[in-house]
Amino acid sequence: MTLRSLFIPITLLLVIAFLIGPFLIIVAASFSAGETLAFPPQGFSLRWIAKVFTVESFRASFGMSLFLAIGGTAVALVLGIPASYALSRYKLPGAEIVRTIVSAPIIVPGIIVGLALLRYIVVPFQVGITLALFLAHTALVLPYAVRVVSASLDNLRSDIEEAAVLLGSSRIGAFFRVVMPNIRGGIMSAFILGFVTSFNQVPVSLFLSGPGVRTLPVDMIAYMEIVFDPSVAALSSLLAFLSIGIVFIAERFLGFSRYV
Amino acid sequence: MFQNRAEALALALPAAIFAAAVFLVPVVILLSDGFRVPTGGWTISAYTDFFSNSLNQTVFLRTLRLGALVTIASAAIGYAAAFAIVSLEPGAKGKVTGLVVLPLMISPVARTYAWIVILGRTGIVNQAFQALGITEAPLRILFSETAIFIGLLQLFLPLMIISLISALENMPKDAIPAARVLGANWFQVFWKVVLPLTKEGLVIGGTLVFTGSLTAYITPAILGGSKVLMLETLLYQQVAVSNNFVAASVIAFILIVMSFAANILLKRVATARNKQRSQA
Repeated sequence: MTLRSLFIPITLLLVIAFLIGPFLIIVAASFSAGETLAFPPQGFSLRWIAKVFTVESFRASFGMSLFLAIGGTAVALVLGIPASYALSRYKLPGAEIVRTIVSAPIIVPGIIVGLALLRYIVVPFQVGITLALFLAHTALVLPYAVRVVSASLDNLRSDIEEAAVLLGSSRIGAFFRVVMPNIRGGIMSAFILGFVTSFNQVPVSLFLSGPGVRTLPVDMIAYMEIVFDPSVAALSSLLAFLSIGIVFIAERFLGFSRYV
Repeated sequence: MFQNRAEALALALPAAIFAAAVFLVPVVILLSDGFRVPTGGWTISAYTDFFSNSLNQTVFLRTLRLGALVTIASAAIGYAAAFAIVSLEPGAKGKVTGLVVLPLMISPVARTYAWIVILGRTGIVNQAFQALGITEAPLRILFSETAIFIGLLQLFLPLMIISLISALENMPKDAIPAARVLGANWFQVFWKVVLPLTKEGLVIGGTLVFTGSLTAYITPAILGGSKVLMLETLLYQQVAVSNNFVAASVIAFILIVMSFAANILLKRVATARNKQRSQA
């Protein structure tokens, strides 16, 4: 073995250990039987995994995060699909401005978006925290929806819908019968990307929390500041396997990575 | 291309109006707060106040320093990792790339939380150090700049590696052998051949890592604690603890300016060197 042939495996081993190792430690720690978070875990038990399901605030905030991720992404797609269609198929006046406005939430740090929403929408207009969170998560997912759907529209030849229109279909009919079936994979991928982004989002939701209304990651941070038991580790592992599972299935059936 | 303007606007405007109302207008008002005098008129005194405070200076410089260090470290490690991955067989390449991307799917809270177990007083690093007799008392690694650096590097390294993999794959296959045949040593090969040819990937990765590090909240919040602040955690404290919305606006503006400046600067660097080469 020369030095150079060793370079590749050693580099890969170190980098992957650095990237994945901490996550494996969390998984191991969540099976601990001990009272505090530690590695190596003391004994083996499922008590912390079980405890996750009994913590009242985790259940509530999980429901909230799920609602925001599904609902917010759905609304972002309802807004984003027509906008992407206009951007890719029409001579839209001010197309660059529209593109910049809808993709802006990705550039500005989330904490600023959340604070701005709190001060200038929630307080002056007496908007409820849940609605504010919903608006924030929708705005956050919109850039991803437009980017992914635009990419799959750009890959689809536009003359097939022009042909449908020439053959007597209405523009709307052509969209639903010709375009939609062809970009279904892109839309599903946009949904999954939006879901994962929204679900894992912290800074946007930081200032938008009220009594009993919180997203799950914000709730987890609050919990670990008070209690140092392995239940956050257990919850983290469960969530990680959930999102890895979703992405894996998506890759298998949709070729997710083509769109992202 | 359809020509009907009314139709186009009807399709695009709902999304644009939504983003403008929910996002753009509130953010612009928030940013203007730092420049406004309560009695009317405009001022930059909030900015001079901010920068004359020594705590704020420390936090500002720490944020810049950590952003730069994380970017440099991720570029160095990223090149090594991307080289190694590109040289693998196609099947193995896909699997290893998958492992590199995998952490991006995991919640940043979970990824950051893991470092508490590793770097804490009774964590793995301290256990190992004490067992090996390197230190007697446990080292204080958590709640320090080092901890934030490690956390940020782990969070953003995958983005740099992916950018560099695609850059290396787009490089002409025979560029390196050609340079070697002509007598270049490995340092020259990297500096004169690989770096110029993969510059765009480096700039994309660098921008993602740098702006990501500047604007990360979870990592400094968990691994820095309430003492070792970065601009994002300082902003949170100004609002949540001090109710100082003017200072929050100033920090927000600084963060946005830094992100945009990094974007423009890095693009400049890339195009400037391109021109130099095409003239030479």
